[in-house]
Amino acid sequence: MYDTIIIGSGPAGLSAAVYAKRAELDFILIEKEYGGTGQIAESERVDNYLGLYGENGFDLGERFRSHAEALGTEFYEGEVSEISAENSGYKVTLADGTAFETKTIVYAAGASHRRLDIKGEAEFSGKGVSYCAVCDGAFCKGKTAAVIGGGDTALGDALYLSKAAEKVYLIHRRDTFRANRLLQKQVSEVSNIEIILNAVPLEITGEKRVEALRISRNGQEEALPVHSVFAAVGTIPNSGALKGIAELDANGYIIAGEDCVTSAKGIFAAGDVRTKALRQVITAAADGANSISSVQKYLTENRR
Amino acid sequence: MAVRVSGENFGGEVLQAKGLVLADFYSDSCVPCKRLSPVLAEIEEEYSESVFAVKININFDTELAEQYGVTSVPTIVFFKNGDEVSRLGSPIKKADIAAVIENLK
Repeated sequence: MYDTIIIGSGPAGLSAAVYAKRAELDFILIEKEYGGTGQIAESERVDNYLGLYGENGFDLGERFRSHAEALGTEFYEGEVSEISAENSGYKVTLADGTAFETKTIVYAAGASHRRLDIKGEAEFSGKGVSYCAVCDGAFCKGKTAAVIGGGDTALGDALYLSKAAEKVYLIHRRDTFRANRLLQKQVSEVSNIEIILNAVPLEITGEKRVEALRISRNGQEEALPVHSVFAAVGTIPNSGALKGIAELDANGYIIAGEDCVTSAKGIFAAGDVRTKALRQVITAAADGANSISSVQKYLTENRR
Repeated sequence: MAVRVSGENFGGEVLQAKGLVLADFYSDSCVPCKRLSPVLAEIEEEYSESVFAVKININFDTELAEQYGVTSVPTIVFFKNGDEVSRLGSPIKKADIAAVIENLK
């Protein structure tokens, strides 16, 4: 039986692994994606992680992973399908049937892209509908793209795409953006970004691929001819495996404070999957450290 | 290591090649593409007798991607004696590539 199992190898999980190794805990780290480092890998540039100014998100993730590897972290590739209480600890079962027993769990499974939930989205996914501007931006060269959302990701995507695309529509449902002010200023200065506020997407249409986006602007419907639609409307927590085990909030985030302690004894939530005010790499890394501190405390208090 | 081909030599390297060619359409900034790279290197080594691998950077050869209906990356298109015989889209696992090669070699 392991001391702990870390689920997820984003910044929170990798930071937890570094702290767990230094605490000499017996553990494995389970990650569903081959070589995965979480959502940060998709960021073109990270400007707010202390000491690593301007680092590419993928490279930053690789650095974090190498750090955990250098200390001897054992990674296991697989998707967690079930977590159940067993032998005063937990059994973690993977989709391929492999199961592990552990005294505690650091649950750092992160979050996934939220869907638009409109007609045509699923049909044209990978055919002009994308959730990753840095991945699929090259297909917009000389074309028109629409970005939907009003946060940092949406504005960052619009800026990124404006370099290759002929025109970028930035569509947001409210009358002001949630993104940081620097990004807002940058977006307003780019001539080929057209900002459309108070507008919601209704349907993505086309023959074989995306050809148009139908929107409602101030209650008026219109169709924008676009070649691609990038959805940047936030994330949803990957908390499914803990449903019914730990308490979740109304949006599905695992309820836990800075100490990462959840309502389930011996389960600790770290990173974007936890209820918190600010979801950033730096707060995820902090959670990784705090979660292992809580694991140690729990193991000491529940020594058998 | 897979050779990079462009619109200029795609005909010679892929369409006129004898046998099975694996064409990996990728972009520089795409994370799944970066993760696929070491997997492809393993495949090339293990199946060096059965398959010839090339890569197409869609940042530079967008037209080639469009011509073959590649709308997201990574996409692997297999050609045999110049004709498309199979394709894989993201997420691409090593076992899936190996299965296609075993089947078509």
